[in-house]
Amino acid sequence: MPPRALTRERDVREAYAAHASELYGFAMRSLGDSGLAEEAVQETFVRAWRAGDRFDPQIGSLRTWLFAILRNVVIDLGRARAIRPAVADGGVEPSVEPLDEALLAWQVEEAMRRIGDDHRRILIETYYRGRPYAEVARELGVPEGTVKSRVYYGLRALRVALEEMGYEG
Amino acid sequence: MRAERCREWRPLLGAHALGQLSPDEQAGLEAHIEGCPDCREELDALASVARLLPLADPERFETAPALPPALAGRVVGRIAAERRTAQRRRWGFRIGLGGAVAAATATLAIVLLPGGGGPQPSQRIEFAGLPPGMEITATLKPHAFGTEIEMYVKGVRSGTLCRVFLRAASGSRLPAGSFRYRWGEEADAVLTSALDLSRTRTIGVRVGNRTFVAPVSTDQTASSTQRDQTAASGRKIEEAST
Repeated sequence: MPPRALTRERDVREAYAAHASELYGFAMRSLGDSGLAEEAVQETFVRAWRAGDRFDPQIGSLRTWLFAILRNVVIDLGRARAIRPAVADGGVEPSVEPLDEALLAWQVEEAMRRIGDDHRRILIETYYRGRPYAEVARELGVPEGTVKSRVYYGLRALRVALEEMGYEG
Repeated sequence: MRAERCREWRPLLGAHALGQLSPDEQAGLEAHIEGCPDCREELDALASVARLLPLADPERFETAPALPPALAGRVVGRIAAERRTAQRRRWGFRIGLGGAVAAATATLAIVLLPGGGGPQPSQRIEFAGLPPGMEITATLKPHAFGTEIEMYVKGVRSGTLCRVFLRAASGSRLPAGSFRYRWGEEADAVLTSALDLSRTRTIGVRVGNRTFVAPVSTDQTASSTQRDQTAASGRKIEEAST
């Protein structure tokens, strides 16, 4: 018989310690409200506990499973509180970010938080702020070639961070 | 020498994936990649990461929203309430031998307050000095009505009747309910006693015809190490009558 994912209180406590921070981070990003984000995290663990015997550790990690549950909880919470004007068939509300994209965005942001300050800074300066390499090199007091190689190591670090978080693709 | 050229070109792969090389550098790098499967493979990997960058908001890179510390207790409390509801539904169907347990759950349904817990923290007590293979853990939670006791037992014969009691500072002994240990049943037994946790000095479990006791900590700042050391003095008591 496959083990239940969250059988007793200690399992819930361990799963919470391991994953709640990430789950809350994504819930906050999607819902934009700390009260709703808390509710989302609570509901995720409750649903996970209820459905414990449907979790097969051979198929995927507990973390991935919890995120899948959270995704549905966020959709439900979003629906419940939505007071939106009717949108014409085929129309897309411009302010609503598709949930899967939000999850990807959150993963990249979380990965950025995990790589070192230097890696993060170089990617922010050269990519997000689009500053010329020559300018960044002058500011850091290093050759341009060094800036380029730091970008290389920064992207590699980002890739490792994403893989560690279970990102596939 | 390919290795030399790789060493020269590889650090530029990142900037190339971000489209930030000069036309000359780009041409040179692409010429190298054409004949170098390793660099091509790495470029593909970096390019797939580069494609994700525009999705992220750099304003969020520095800090993530902090997990509210009180949320952990609420989640655990919610799960515990879920379990009590599930147990009540399940045990409500047992008759005969399960009668005593059903009565205990009926009490739970009436008296239990939502949320539970007060300023006093819960305690987790692992019984020591047990026969090999046996495990008994009791988690005591204070409530307005008294104390909630979650019992985890392992290593006894299936069907063994277990009876729990608490002893107060005054010496009086209050029963806390009973349950049957069933092999394969994953859920912990949840019992209650009217005795406040703050006035509880000992918890005892009568498993079949053997009784085991463990002290309950009165010092709310006691470390678990200290509790384990005092629990090591827990001893097996043969009682002629309850």
